[in-house]
Amino acid sequence: MPDLPELNPVVHGRLRLALLSLLVGVEAAEFTWLRAKTEATDGNLGAQLLKLEEAGYVAVEKKFVLRKPQTLYRITEIGRQALTEYVRALKQLLGPAIDS
Amino acid sequence: MQDHTTKQELKDRLSLIESMIAEGRRNTERWGWMFVLWGVAYYVAMAWSAWGHSTRAWPVTMLIAVVVAIAFASLKAGNHPGTTLGRAIGSIWIALGISMFLLFLALGLSGRLTDQHLFAAVISAILGMANGASGLILRWKVQFACAAVWWVAAVATCFGTDSQGTIVFLVAIFLCQIAFGIYGVIAQAQERKRRGPIHA
Repeated sequence: MPDLPELNPVVHGRLRLALLSLLVGVEAAEFTWLRAKTEATDGNLGAQLLKLEEAGYVAVEKKFVLRKPQTLYRITEIGRQALTEYVRALKQLLGPAIDS
Repeated sequence: MQDHTTKQELKDRLSLIESMIAEGRRNTERWGWMFVLWGVAYYVAMAWSAWGHSTRAWPVTMLIAVVVAIAFASLKAGNHPGTTLGRAIGSIWIALGISMFLLFLALGLSGRLTDQHLFAAVISAILGMANGASGLILRWKVQFACAAVWWVAAVATCFGTDSQGTIVFLVAIFLCQIAFGIYGVIAQAQERKRRGPIHA
């Protein structure tokens, strides 16, 4: 029997996984958009985004648009790879149960 | 870690990924109201040109619809991030809008827009193309079904009497603009309600 893969704990967190999955489909996303999509609180969302940033999975860009601060989040190539690996491991762990 | 993680939790993670990635499709559902707007605009233009016998009916109605669409689109766009998928779909509809506007404006001004069958067939074929391309890109069967309805309408309006052609065109507008648009708005609202907050 082949060894079962480990799930990446950084990606596995429910909110962090949602954030990476959201970011993988867009070019860049504002904090407010991520908050609206996940319905998470500002504090929780900020903390989870910081963890993803520290892991190198997400890049942050801060700028001013019409004198208003705007924080943009982008998934990095490492983050994209981590999510792909996570999905692969998840599918391997679930095996035949994936369709039930 | 896996010892403590049930299969149900893992499946939950997988469906969470799928639901978040499905945001691309919701981009189009977000524009459900736009389909309704244009459906209503077609009805108004047809009614005006039929009962008012005015050659200005189509250009004026379409121009008003364009202004209303741009105004509402800029309000609704908000902070929604751009996606490659969204840009691809948007490009199709913008190109369609420009093509139709230029073609029918030129035909109207030159006085060559006299064949009602040809007019309905061309509009139906172009809308079939746009809905078909969008449905294939998004892998959205409902939108592809709309494309099929438009293609059937394009062929059907070439045959039969004027009134039969008009009925076919009116039915296609109702199904593919009004009903599909309302379906998009409802689907988006239900999805928003179904998905609760996501905690860490």
